Amino acid sequence: MNFELGPAGEAAMRLVFTEVPQPALTRALLEIASQAKQRFGPTLTDSVIGYTTLTLFFSPSTLERDRTEAWLREQAEAIALVDHQAPDYSTAEVVLPVLYHPSVAPDLEWLADDRSLGIDDVIALHSDATYFAYATGFAPGFCYLGTLPEALQTPRLDTPRATVPSGAVAIADAQTAVYPCESPGGWRLIGACPEPLFNLNNTPPSLLNVGATVRFEPISEAVFRALGGVIP
Amino acid sequence: MSYLQIYKAGIASSVQDSGRVSKLSIGVAPSGAMDPTALLSGQHQLGHHHDEAAVEMAYADFAATLTDTHDVVVTGAPVRLSINQQPVTSKGVLRIEAGQKLEIKATNEGVYSYLHLSGGIMTTPQLDSRSTSPREAIGGLDGGFLKDGDNLPLSAPDRVVLAADPQLFIRKPKTVLELRVVSGFQFSDFADEAIRDLLTEEFTVTAKASRMGVTLNGAQLQSGITSLFSEATCYGAIQVPPDGNPIVLLNDRQTVGGYPKPGAVIRSDCVRLAQSRPGQRVRFALCSPDEADRINWLEQHYLETRLRDAH
Repeated sequence: MNFELGPAGEAAMRLVFTEVPQPALTRALLEIASQAKQRFGPTLTDSVIGYTTLTLFFSPSTLERDRTEAWLREQAEAIALVDHQAPDYSTAEVVLPVLYHPSVAPDLEWLADDRSLGIDDVIALHSDATYFAYATGFAPGFCYLGTLPEALQTPRLDTPRATVPSGAVAIADAQTAVYPCESPGGWRLIGACPEPLFNLNNTPPSLLNVGATVRFEPISEAVFRALGGVIP
Repeated sequence: MSYLQIYKAGIASSVQDSGRVSKLSIGVAPSGAMDPTALLSGQHQLGHHHDEAAVEMAYADFAATLTDTHDVVVTGAPVRLSINQQPVTSKGVLRIEAGQKLEIKATNEGVYSYLHLSGGIMTTPQLDSRSTSPREAIGGLDGGFLKDGDNLPLSAPDRVVLAADPQLFIRKPKTVLELRVVSGFQFSDFADEAIRDLLTEEFTVTAKASRMGVTLNGAQLQSGITSLFSEATCYGAIQVPPDGNPIVLLNDRQTVGGYPKPGAVIRSDCVRLAQSRPGQRVRFALCSPDEADRINWLEQHYLETRLRDAH
């Protein structure tokens, strides 16, 4: 596997694999992140996994660039040698209940029309697939899930919405996600999930974490309300 | 327990300390004071620990009373202070008696000022910090910006007060503020023209500036990069969206993003940028990571020397 190493500002190192995202690569990145924790201890303040990247953040002035780079190179090469055979971190499948209905999903009818599909077809396509959690971030509890069935893949809105409600189930390109809190957003909205995705009292606070397997389960309006969902 | 009773909170006041460490992997931004030097100066003057919080005020327009007598100090962007409508010096430690009305108003310089109160702010820390992250509703007082009518809980003012006044503000932005950049991320994938413009053109701070980041206006940078897999951002990362106006990401940034980035502004210059007002002219200049370390070390050393000499 091909990779590159470089700085991410003055206090972080970035490892990027020039490969397409795939669960095996993500598991390899998780493995390196866990090795890094042991290797660097408390001077390593954070490790953030992207689709094809691992970024290691250090406390100010503790990053020994040459040694860290050499160590990361070794890890990346070793991973390449064993050809993605890193341990499988996806312990359990997370199932998220979703109300797919135009009252909570402003782009659902548009998407069905655009693809000459029935709304039921869109729901079936989105909820029959099993997704892999490639990255978390953007906002706490936000998890980038892939791969969205090709028939549903669609670009972001030209102009992002100023407000996307908390719980909105969204799609963009080959990805799907649930907005954990109200925020601006450019993804298309096709459903609503009543389950909280981020709770500080839980460990870890995010319901979805990198490496997890995720499915969506269609629910009725009554169940949505019973689970705490609000229809505007 | 005593309270700071806020009559007028101003446009963006919030409780901030030195911020959250080690929470990026769960998607939580560090937050914390936009001007950590100003925070440190105030903590020092009141004999506080380095994890003590202050009220951060953007373009301060703040009025409050205290239910108990406290010593206070205001740091960061210069302000005009008055107690019961009488102007007082804004330098050093002031004693505010219970019931007296303290008013803090911005001058025409800088953005972020800090109100430090003896005893310290006693809101409940979340994820090991009192810093407010409004978008996530974490920390501070109920997770949000302070509002008119809020009562901010304070600890009894029983600590030793050091009346030192190192006046650690404000590195006045020069006519053109230089932002030193450690290149990285997609630097080598950027179109040559975009890199040339980034490093030779002058940019201006726009009104689109907040705790999340500062949008600049100048040459429209066309990176030529059409698709990118989302990845970690960092403090100071220069994000270039399709409209070509670079955004320097700061304390309340999104932790992961999908826009191309040619590099990141070094820590010391990020603080200068945070304290710059719309219209401030800036330029980017490349800087090696080792150079960035030296600059940060020198500034830290200078700060510590100033604080030590103040005694």
